[in-house]
Amino acid sequence: MMKEQIVSVKTAALAEIAAAQDMKQLENARVHILGKKGELTLLQQGMRDVPREEKPAVGALLNEVRSAVNAALDQRLVELQQAADEQAVAGVDVTLPGETLPGGGLHPISLVRNEAVRILRRMGFSLADGPEIEDEWHCFDALNTPEDHPARNERDTFYFDSGKLLRTQTSTVQARVMEQQAPPVRIICPGSAFRRDAIDATHLSAFNQIEGLYVDKEVGVGDLKGTLEYFLKALFGEETPVRFRPHFFPFTEPSFEIDVQLLAAGQAPRWIEIAGCGMVNPAVFENIDRKTGKNLYSGCTGFAFGIGLERLAMIRWGIRDIRLLIENDVRFLAQFS
Amino acid sequence: MNISGNWLAEYVDTAGISAQEMADMLTFAGVEVEGMQQRGVDDDLVVVAQVAQKTPVEGSDHLNVCMVDAGEGTLRQIVCGAQNYKVGDKVPCALPGAVLPGGWRIKEGKMMGHASRGMLCSASELGKPDKEHGLWILPQEYEVGMPLSKLTTADTIFELEITPNRPDLLSHWGIARELAGISGRSLKADPAPNNAETKPAGESILLEAPELCPLYTATRISGVKIGPSPEWLAERLIAIGLHPINNVVDITNYCLFELGHPLHAFDAAQVRGALHIRRAAEGEQFTSLMHEDYTLESQDLVISDDSGRVLALAGVMGGLNSGVTDDTTDIILESAWFLPSSVRRTTRRLGLGSDSSYRFERGAAAWNVLRAAARAVQLILECAGGKAEPVAVAGQAPCTVPEQQAAMASVLEQGTDAKIYCALNQVVLDWKELDVMTGGSVPHMEAACILKRLGLKESTPGQWDCPPWRLDLKRSCDLLEEIVRVYGIDNIPATRSAIYVPESAQDRTHDFRSALSYRLAGGGFREVQSFKLIARQSMDPTIASVEYALPIKPLMEGDVISVALPLSEDHAVLRPSLAPGLLAVAARNMNQGAEVLRFFECGRVFRNTGGGKGRDIEMEVLGILMAGRLGPASRTQLKPKTVAPEHLSAVLELLVPKCELSLSPAKQTRKAAIFGADIQLGGQVCGYFARVAPAVCRSLGLPVDCYYAELDMRKLQQLATAPFKVKDLPLYPGSGRDATLVVPAALRHAEILKAVNAAKEKLLVSCRLKEIFTDPTGEKLAADRKAVTYSFTYRDADKTLTAAEVDAAHAAVLKVLTEKLPGVTMR
Repeated sequence: MMKEQIVSVKTAALAEIAAAQDMKQLENARVHILGKKGELTLLQQGMRDVPREEKPAVGALLNEVRSAVNAALDQRLVELQQAADEQAVAGVDVTLPGETLPGGGLHPISLVRNEAVRILRRMGFSLADGPEIEDEWHCFDALNTPEDHPARNERDTFYFDSGKLLRTQTSTVQARVMEQQAPPVRIICPGSAFRRDAIDATHLSAFNQIEGLYVDKEVGVGDLKGTLEYFLKALFGEETPVRFRPHFFPFTEPSFEIDVQLLAAGQAPRWIEIAGCGMVNPAVFENIDRKTGKNLYSGCTGFAFGIGLERLAMIRWGIRDIRLLIENDVRFLAQFS
Repeated sequence: MNISGNWLAEYVDTAGISAQEMADMLTFAGVEVEGMQQRGVDDDLVVVAQVAQKTPVEGSDHLNVCMVDAGEGTLRQIVCGAQNYKVGDKVPCALPGAVLPGGWRIKEGKMMGHASRGMLCSASELGKPDKEHGLWILPQEYEVGMPLSKLTTADTIFELEITPNRPDLLSHWGIARELAGISGRSLKADPAPNNAETKPAGESILLEAPELCPLYTATRISGVKIGPSPEWLAERLIAIGLHPINNVVDITNYCLFELGHPLHAFDAAQVRGALHIRRAAEGEQFTSLMHEDYTLESQDLVISDDSGRVLALAGVMGGLNSGVTDDTTDIILESAWFLPSSVRRTTRRLGLGSDSSYRFERGAAAWNVLRAAARAVQLILECAGGKAEPVAVAGQAPCTVPEQQAAMASVLEQGTDAKIYCALNQVVLDWKELDVMTGGSVPHMEAACILKRLGLKESTPGQWDCPPWRLDLKRSCDLLEEIVRVYGIDNIPATRSAIYVPESAQDRTHDFRSALSYRLAGGGFREVQSFKLIARQSMDPTIASVEYALPIKPLMEGDVISVALPLSEDHAVLRPSLAPGLLAVAARNMNQGAEVLRFFECGRVFRNTGGGKGRDIEMEVLGILMAGRLGPASRTQLKPKTVAPEHLSAVLELLVPKCELSLSPAKQTRKAAIFGADIQLGGQVCGYFARVAPAVCRSLGLPVDCYYAELDMRKLQQLATAPFKVKDLPLYPGSGRDATLVVPAALRHAEILKAVNAAKEKLLVSCRLKEIFTDPTGEKLAADRKAVTYSFTYRDADKTLTAAEVDAAHAAVLKVLTEKLPGVTMR
């Protein structure tokens, strides 16, 4: 009698649980079955009327039913939650445009400068610096530029009434470092330089360079070649051909211009001039030693190089007009994010 | 400089090397070939043809159908549009398949229904100077069917960039000598006569400024016949881009491009008495042969005569009053040496340059003075007739040899009755230096061989006499350069050597700046790089101007540094602040429709410390500008908020998060700000914060709210990289209490915080502003009051506080607030 009741409650309860369509119905079902006045609770209370000999069997049955009901409730809960979760995201359109955050990024000149600096620091160069408002000694005299050189003219160089000038090249830092430090010297200096050129698609009167200098005993042309080949291949790709053309700069001898051969899609490979370099002219060492009154640099040799960062950026990203680099139009800058 | 391949071939054996090989040879020895142009044809399919018939094409006003005899046995039909020929003329005919200069391939075709099997050519189509304006009418003696290349030679013009240290290369003979030296090919006969007959100039030439002109020669040639130059000479000048004028003038130009030494011919009839080589008087007038007037200064050197007139600007240009004309019969030919710096100063000041001044500025060799004179005399007698006197010589070659060497220098002697002595540079070279430079990769024998090919002679072991044209060879490193460039850097093995170097202060600065830049980029700011030279004042909003400077320290009179000779008013002074550049960038982008203006720049600013009398200082600063909308509009944020001060403060908090940020109203104003505050981080003033004055924004076309901060990068780096130790995490929970204070609307948050701190309550660990309530209508709260709610947190490091302990502490704080803040009431 009791057993039949229990079985029928169980059947009804499981059916009710299965029929629950949402959390509320499931909760109602739980209360209906297991609540204080729930059917199974009432049956359990009926245990006291069960004859003693039947109690173990009925009790076991009740427990079994209770576990089955609990299991069904748990399972249905998971199912309904899953269904509810799915329902909740049913309308989501992942193809909608994302929320827009304000965009940020570095200027292309910073990007190439940082990259060049990273490579060169890995090669054992450390950074150095010097003033942009320079004196003639560090900008010209120390670097073996003759008194009547065209660059030493107020039409080519920005002078101040004080007689100082805006440095025309970052090479000034060579002199600044050597007068403060004994060899060996292994430095790079990224920075601004100024020339009195009218601004057009290929010229700026203020531009950025990175300068390098290595001075020690017995530094040779082979070191210059090995160092710059490694640097330029790291910058442009391991397979990039690099060549050195003899040239002239007052502060190095011999001097070279360096070309890299670059491939542009659909074009024949082109040699592009990328940097100037050379062995430090002994006159530069003599000038430094004369200035400091110490004989630190006699017997030293070394090499120096300079590379234009605007040119590097223009080659790398196909920038046709150098003025884009100083206009800072967001539509341009955003392309480097 | 243009060099003609054919002309060059007169002086050096170029047989069997192509133009491209020659160009590479020069380029990799340091003489850069910037361009090459083919002149004339070397294609055998361009032949001599004779026009046999010429019939007008019906319906065309200029085309003719021609039957031409190209030596093929049958006549060839070609349609031609030129007008300047007749039946019987011989003209160039490009047969199908021929390739003309510029890569133009000739094909068979049809024109207005008539087959055209080739093309009759003009001179310019074949890369020759066009004289006829139509077909090139060839001499009748040319044989029909002959390839034109057999009759007129093709030429290649090389455009060379000669570096300033090598004036000896500014001529065909100079390039030939170089080519022979670097390639080992043989040099042919020197075009300059071996020696020249000379006589002392006596009183006929007066060197009145010997410091600017120590050597001057003049050669009188009487009875010359001025007329056009012979064809060969005119062609050579045309080939390198010059216009023939008359035989005498052309010869002086020819000698310049042949030997590299500038010459000038005066009409002797226009020279009164002696030649005076003197400084110009201040304000003296000069009219050049190009009909331009110049006012001279005492720095300028002129050629004058007894009458005092200026006949020529020495080494730069002849005067209108004394040039050779068609009526000239007697000439005086000048060949001289002028001080490079003097010629340079004059040409630069007057903006007047010439092929002549170009060479004198860079340093012509005194050795060439007599050679060029003799060569020109030889050519003038040959082409214009006349009778030449010996070369009159005044002065002596300048001593270009370093003084300590002069005594033992080898000397070249030129001339007959008046001698010119040219000292040779002598250089001592130790092979050890070569070994260091090249890593021992260049055999000494080969190095010596290179030097000899370049004209040097080893007078005693290790000591080298340099040739008189190589004034740039003075020291051993000059010789090493010669060896390396000729031997080829390709043949020197690359090595990689490095030493350990300590990290420098600049390394750390670079790293800090990079990290900060990426942090700001991540926060939605674009880095800009603006121009360091800005305007004092500008009407153009996209030009940065000092007026809008918002520097960390206010500008004083004279602080701004101006360049002496700016390129334009837009770039006249060094920026004392990054604000002008950033505002110009904002204005430019606003103009392009940008609504979110969030920019930063890291860079140097400049100022003079003592109002123009002190030191010029350079300082790295960071500028951050925020204007317009806080972020881009989107479907969920149709109208994003406009930027408010707290948004920029939030960004400042990001810079050195471990230091407490506080802004305190600035005592000194900057003109471009409507309000400003000193930025303190961890109690240190390290920047300036400003709301850009709306009037400034309006004038810049930036009608939005605009905030700006400028910070000292050095201080930021010090704060950010200062060593520190972590704090222990609290073991016991804190308890919070809120308090709402009703205070006068004008009372600042900072003053309330100051009062809180004055309580010195040990258990108080934080006090955070939660809410500000105001009611402009005055209904819920008087309009001149505000209700500010703060959350206070209390904690004891050693135990959990009881409610009573927290309440007591809180009450103590509130008591102090009531005492310290005038007119405060608690809610």
